[in-house]
Amino acid sequence: MGSVLVKNLHKQFSGVTALEDVNLEIREGEFFALLGPSGCGKTTTMRCIAGFETPTSGNIYIGDREVSKVPANQRNCGMVFQSYALFPHLTVAENVAYSLNIRRYEQGGIGSKLGVLAHMLNRRLGKMPKDVEQKVRDSLDFVELGHLADRLPGQLSGGQQQRVALARALIMEPAVLLMDEPLSNLDKKLRNSMRVTIRQIQQKIGITTIFVTHDQEEAMSMADRVAVMEGGKLVQVDTPTNLYSRPVSRFVADFVGSSNIYKGFVKNQGTEKGTLIQLSDQQLLYSAFDTTKSEVEIIIRPESIQLYEAGKEPEETGLLDGTITMSTYMGPSIRYDVQVGNLAFEVDKTYEGGMPLLSPGTSVKLAIEPERVVIL
Amino acid sequence: MSTDVRTQTEVAGPGELKPPTSKSSRNKKVSFSGLTMMKWLVYAFFLVFLIVPLLSILLVSITGEPINIFGSFTNAKIFNSTMEKLSNMSFEAYRTMFESGGSYFGALVNSLKLSTGVALLVTIMVLPIAYAFARTTMPFKALFAAICTIPLVMPTFISSYAFTLMFGKTGWVNHIYRAFGGEGVLFDVQSMLGIVLVQVFFFFPYALWPMVAAFKISDLTLEEASQNLGARSWYTFGRVTLPLAMPGLVSSMLLIFTVSFSDFGTPIILAPKDLSLIVVEAYRELSGFFNWAGSAVLTIVMLIVAAFFFWLQRLVVKGKEYGTISGKPTKQKLNDSKAVTTTLSIYSFLIVLVPLLAVGSIFLSSIATTWGMHALPDGYTLKHYALIFSSSSKNIINSMILAIGSLVLSVVIAIFVSYFVVRRNSGALDFISSIPLIVPGIALGIALIQTFNTAPIQLTGTATILIIAYTIRRMPYMIRSTMSSMMAIRKDIEEAAISLGASQLVAAITVIGPLLLPGIAAGGILVFVTVIKEASISILLAPSDWAPMSLAVFQNLLRGEYYTASAMAILIIFIVVVLQYLAKKLTKDQLY
Repeated sequence: MGSVLVKNLHKQFSGVTALEDVNLEIREGEFFALLGPSGCGKTTTMRCIAGFETPTSGNIYIGDREVSKVPANQRNCGMVFQSYALFPHLTVAENVAYSLNIRRYEQGGIGSKLGVLAHMLNRRLGKMPKDVEQKVRDSLDFVELGHLADRLPGQLSGGQQQRVALARALIMEPAVLLMDEPLSNLDKKLRNSMRVTIRQIQQKIGITTIFVTHDQEEAMSMADRVAVMEGGKLVQVDTPTNLYSRPVSRFVADFVGSSNIYKGFVKNQGTEKGTLIQLSDQQLLYSAFDTTKSEVEIIIRPESIQLYEAGKEPEETGLLDGTITMSTYMGPSIRYDVQVGNLAFEVDKTYEGGMPLLSPGTSVKLAIEPERVVIL
Repeated sequence: MSTDVRTQTEVAGPGELKPPTSKSSRNKKVSFSGLTMMKWLVYAFFLVFLIVPLLSILLVSITGEPINIFGSFTNAKIFNSTMEKLSNMSFEAYRTMFESGGSYFGALVNSLKLSTGVALLVTIMVLPIAYAFARTTMPFKALFAAICTIPLVMPTFISSYAFTLMFGKTGWVNHIYRAFGGEGVLFDVQSMLGIVLVQVFFFFPYALWPMVAAFKISDLTLEEASQNLGARSWYTFGRVTLPLAMPGLVSSMLLIFTVSFSDFGTPIILAPKDLSLIVVEAYRELSGFFNWAGSAVLTIVMLIVAAFFFWLQRLVVKGKEYGTISGKPTKQKLNDSKAVTTTLSIYSFLIVLVPLLAVGSIFLSSIATTWGMHALPDGYTLKHYALIFSSSSKNIINSMILAIGSLVLSVVIAIFVSYFVVRRNSGALDFISSIPLIVPGIALGIALIQTFNTAPIQLTGTATILIIAYTIRRMPYMIRSTMSSMMAIRKDIEEAAISLGASQLVAAITVIGPLLLPGIAAGGILVFVTVIKEASISILLAPSDWAPMSLAVFQNLLRGEYYTASAMAILIIFIVVVLQYLAKKLTKDQLY
């Protein structure tokens, strides 16, 4: 098992910069997600760690070993590919046994090397040693696929293929498990259950895992920490909760959920309620966060805004006056589009049974706690 | 990691970590330059044996004299004379060809007439069969499909010979014809009509399957819409089904045109002295009169026509592919009207009967003591087979050696070309390796003879040039076969093996190799088949020491040893059928 340290990683593809000064410190046993839109460099980062890309400059450590010049087959990184990349001509058991056979090949003398190769080319030539066979069986039982050991990958469902790929990567007891968008080929329902399965397996073994995804929900629900990338650079590395409540940039805020983002001027610093900000249409808001800038962007998550029908609001100062322009029923919540002066607010209100939807045109008051107004 | 472990690795670190590092980078460098060298070798192969010969023949056609391109680079004297010839270049030869209405011009016109006629006839003839296969519940579909492979396995010069066995003056069809009171012969098989008929009946499968596909594409819902709007079924066919299938039909018509235009086997057997066709004319100019200039001009004209129609066909297919993307493969309602299916069934049977009878005729002739006086042979014997295995065994062995040589060369080149095209995006190599598609066999042969006739690279009359010619001719098909199996292997499969600890070499042996093998084997077998079947290259290039089976058949026919020719032809057909079955089985098993 090992930690992963990425230092000043740069990567250029024929003059185009794919990665720019990426620094990561992934702790042992951590489930770490690389999140970002396509082309942000998350896959390139993972492929550099796996050894399929050579960094233009920078260092990569797995455990204490500097690996940036070590060939991919000697890095001991288990990898689950987006397409699973199962060997179509080998049975499930042979797929899982592949790394064990390779190990036997590497360690054996010339005679046993040839024997192992012959067996890998045709299962009827030679036999798997008892311990290898047992290990494969255990590993398949672990992912609940013991009964499919002799099938070819083409005869399995997507979810089953996924679990074979996982078993194949884990059986070599890798220092790190790398997963490249492993759930993107599954349908939604299966994806949700595989999320839980993968997380449980990871916890059980305690293996350091790096998970590449473009799906923020996936990253947030599975990972201990998430690194958000944009344009080849790291934007923010944080826990899922911090990422959501304290995004450092408009990009992160947007990427990890919907939000209201406004420009404003700092009117007053360090009042007892925090920083007073004036929005474009004279509305005033307090934010609990400090800033040194005079012109700022603020973000407010839709569910952190309290919405009251005009006249039913609590006694409080600093409420915003607005009018509902649209109400959308979304199941567990209701999304209200509220016009406040020239600003449009999105407000989510938990739906409680029997509650009627407020119709467009209703006058409302919005209350926003200063802790929920994040200054970028 | 604990401190203990760290010190351990640190102690072991520098010594242990460095060697693999430097070794791997060295390995990488070696494999890189090795691959690059391979790439240049492949380029050099195509340059020397394809581009330069074609260029050379172009120069010959405008200078009117043989040119020694390679010699010009090694010998100053040859260089000077080449320069002198080049200074005299003119398009005179082309001008006279088109102005005078002379024999070359006549040959071109005749060839164009032939190909156009064959293309039109095939399309009309195949239309009902294609419709029957695609859109009706016609009985015996599988049987007809199986018989339709016969024309494809028969070299055309053997088919032509079969036609003379049937429709010649002493042919059995004419015996029957006369028995029913006919006079003389049904038609003169040694004529334009004979050539047209052979090509029609032996090229139609090339058009059949694309046309079946075209009929399957056209959207059923549109047809139902037409019927829903009150159209009768024949009106629907004429106004909806047929127009929708049109691009497919046109494309296969153009394909037939090119195949017919480039075909050498049929005209060389059936063209009478007074009928000049461009392929035959080019062959005679060279092998009969050693008229380099004339054959060069004809070769270039041939190339231009073939290239033009090939390009046209690609153009039409391109549009069609665009159409299929939007069209969902819908389940189509098949026409099951008894009258329609029975009529189509009888019609299809009559068409596929002709090639079937042709093979039968050759087979009968191969076991006949004598045949010609009556509709059936006078007696039966196996002595012709005994003869070919004794006296012509050399030809059989030659064919095998040449075929294996071409197979090995093709496999090696095709693997590298596919690798460079698929994994390294080498568009240039893709283009160069597909040039042979448009070069008729006879044109390639003439170009190669002209270029390698004298020192420094004198290959004319050797087995080497034969093997190279066969290889180049089959190369585009071979590459397509390996390329498709290479494309089916995604890059991450290889990476998966490597991430599991396998080195590049072990990954290649245990994963890439087994996945690639069926495609390569199938392609290789088809190369083998081509060599066995090939007529134009063999007749033009093979020296008597290296005469393959196809040339033996040809020479036997010229010498009038018809029964031996038949026996050898049956052997060729047998080998081709067995090998093609093998290749098909290999590609089928490949679907995991």
